Amino acid sequence: MPSRREFLKLSAFVSASALTPGFLRRLGPGQLPPGSKRLVIIQLSGGNDGLNTIVPFRDDRYYQARPALAIPAGEVLRISDELAFNPALAPLRELYDQGWMSILSQVGYPNPDRSHFRSMDIWHSASGSGEHWQTGWLGRYLDAACAAGAPAHTVLELDETLSLALRGEQISGLGLRDPQQLARSTRDPWIQALSRTEPQGPSELDFLYKTLTQTTASAEYLSSRLSVRGSAAEYPAQELGRKLKLIASLILSGAEPRVYYVSVPGFDTHVRQRGPHDRLLGQYAEAVAAFIRDLRQQGLLDDTLVLSFSEFGRRVAQNAGNGTDHGKANCLFLMGGKLRKPGLFNGLPDLRTLDDGDLAWQIDFRQIYASLLRDWLGADDEAVLRGRFGRLALV
Amino acid sequence: MSSERAHIRHLLFRAGFGPAWEDADALERMSLRDVQRRLFRDSEAPDPLPAPGGLGLPASLLAMTPEERQEAVRTQRLLIRGLNAAWLERMAASQGQLREKMTLFWHSHFACRLRHPALVLRQHNTLRQHALGSFADLLRAISKDPGMLQFLNSQQNTREQPNENFAREVMELFTLGRGHYTESDIREAARAFTGWGFDAQGEFVFRPRRHDYGEKTFRGRTGPFDGDDILDMLLEDPQTARFITRKLYRYFVHPEPAEAVVEEWAGQFYRSGYQIGELMETIFTSAHFYEARNLGARIKSPVEYLAGLMRLLNLRFGDAGSAFFVQRAMGQVLFDPPGVAGWPDGRAWIDGSALMLRLRLPLAMAYAAELDFQPKAEFAGDEDLSEAASREARRLNVRLDWTPILRQLGSVSPQRQLETAAAFCLQTPLPASVPSLLQIADPEQRYVRLLCTPEFQLC
Repeated sequence: MPSRREFLKLSAFVSASALTPGFLRRLGPGQLPPGSKRLVIIQLSGGNDGLNTIVPFRDDRYYQARPALAIPAGEVLRISDELAFNPALAPLRELYDQGWMSILSQVGYPNPDRSHFRSMDIWHSASGSGEHWQTGWLGRYLDAACAAGAPAHTVLELDETLSLALRGEQISGLGLRDPQQLARSTRDPWIQALSRTEPQGPSELDFLYKTLTQTTASAEYLSSRLSVRGSAAEYPAQELGRKLKLIASLILSGAEPRVYYVSVPGFDTHVRQRGPHDRLLGQYAEAVAAFIRDLRQQGLLDDTLVLSFSEFGRRVAQNAGNGTDHGKANCLFLMGGKLRKPGLFNGLPDLRTLDDGDLAWQIDFRQIYASLLRDWLGADDEAVLRGRFGRLALV
Repeated sequence: MSSERAHIRHLLFRAGFGPAWEDADALERMSLRDVQRRLFRDSEAPDPLPAPGGLGLPASLLAMTPEERQEAVRTQRLLIRGLNAAWLERMAASQGQLREKMTLFWHSHFACRLRHPALVLRQHNTLRQHALGSFADLLRAISKDPGMLQFLNSQQNTREQPNENFAREVMELFTLGRGHYTESDIREAARAFTGWGFDAQGEFVFRPRRHDYGEKTFRGRTGPFDGDDILDMLLEDPQTARFITRKLYRYFVHPEPAEAVVEEWAGQFYRSGYQIGELMETIFTSAHFYEARNLGARIKSPVEYLAGLMRLLNLRFGDAGSAFFVQRAMGQVLFDPPGVAGWPDGRAWIDGSALMLRLRLPLAMAYAAELDFQPKAEFAGDEDLSEAASREARRLNVRLDWTPILRQLGSVSPQRQLETAAAFCLQTPLPASVPSLLQIADPEQRYVRLLCTPEFQLC
């Protein structure tokens, strides 16, 4: 039974939403049923250097290729006889030891592209390397979910500029910095009045008014969920920590988003990489560890899966500026309480057989998407991905 | 309001970036036919963008130290931003509205992402020069443009190691469209284009030693073809006329093409030898273009929205940083298309936050307020979008001259002001309930609110 404070909050929301026009489905103060699965995606933008993240410290080729950039065997964080982390990833050790982390090596796609923009678009749209799709895989997942009545905030990006990944044919996901801030703009009397207006005119006008009304309702809904119950855990103060805490609070409140999307910039480390890259990894690891710990304490880790990826890895050899240039396949992390194969999913990267100086792909990233869509979100992976990609035993 | 006024507005929004108050008195006296004639007459000159100071030829970044390279890259980025702001201002201020709009269309059709400002400017002026000329000339010129040669790897396309990038895109995106060629056609065409490149002065060169002089079999014909032969064969196929006409239709007329009309216009386009100006004149003078279903059927792209807003607020950006920041916030930056396929269109521009931004941007611009928006920083070059660094850019630096607006709207009753302004600025009528929301004492703010509506997103 909700507390009185909770009840008042909910009823305040209901009365506000009662003003929305009848042509829209009413967004109730809904909650996902217990046990619903959520997917959290963390994008490392710029091309994270996977070889200085999960360090092949037993492989001489790594040290030969990176005389001034390799992490000395004495400095790495040894996890097992064969496996070592960049020492900046120390906060993730506990996750690994608990079996909450799968590391997939050499993830990529055929005919890789070394441009950030192109490669990121390929990861977002899930197209082949020679195709140009203007919708994203999560947007198409949303299209299907919306046909069944789900709201735009079913896929939620913690950013005001929406990524291609969340753009669908019929509808796009919602992007926001934080629900409170969006609600402040939608509570503007002008926006309120417009969102109660019945449009008259071409169908595009109808689409715009619907988007406006739904955004207003989503902002109210999400901020009301946040004030019902938030996370009290400690998170690092930086941006990723703030965003993951917000996500934990929404998950904890039972809010409707099924997929959360965040990105972290800065991984394009061409010059004097070591210091800045280690700092980025350290911030990432601290924020993710706090998030996983929080979910664990709230009993939600089994229902949450974190995927973190980058648009490509970097070249095996360092460059003249003690940094690395754009490469191809890369490692990718899955984190959560229900992993079918924790630890190294497919071994360490093979540095013997390179593709023009880069790691070659072994796992197509669309196999991972297919597995998560079908086995985690219960969606039709072949419809969303417009093709069949062999699923993996991930979750 | 007479339907002729609505048709004039439709033409101004589609063939250009919409009406401007400075033009209101002249428009009042003109017929649709007059406006059509003026549109083409005013766009006759290519009007190239001038080169800014400091615009050198591509220097070799490889010879630099990492620090020098970072500084050079930063300088290049700022020069491109300057070109961006200069073009946006052209869109807002130029009489040659049709030329600006066509150049924007071709920029998304032959979309390149280039780092060197000299190549950006050169490509832009090539598009501008041929924007209303012959598509055949445009295709040939852009295929040998150094920016295109660089972006689609023609420089790396050699006899020993053919690179298929340009050969694929020239058919998929520039001429035929998917489904009208095979993978084998791509391989054979790539061989024909071997040896194309540009020299240190940025001039096209043919390098015979890199060229494959052997026989190629391309779309059923066999011969020792070179790149020019391939382009000629692509232009010989009426499918190219159909593909381009269809794309122009979707952009300028309606997102869902009436196929019979496309077919008729494509036939004429082909027979004219691909005269773009003639085709556009056919479109803009046809009865079909002015049919009710086409009016207000298009969601403005961010650049269309922004240039149109600048015209209706009589506004100019005070610096390139502000112009860039607003484009970035809205999701479309000139000279920075997402990839070779260009920008998507229509509903793809709209999500919740994007719409909220559009509904408050006119107020922020008109009152040079701080824009409460944080674009995403992603790759190198986005350092100046970090929270702290963009605080400066968020305070929009704009100049606005109310004189022509108030000359038209200042001296009439609030009711009359709204009617006049809506009839001038909006392609669809406001819902009956909105005018009651606009009971705002200040005439300037009342007018700006009219632009903060879903209706203003359409053209």
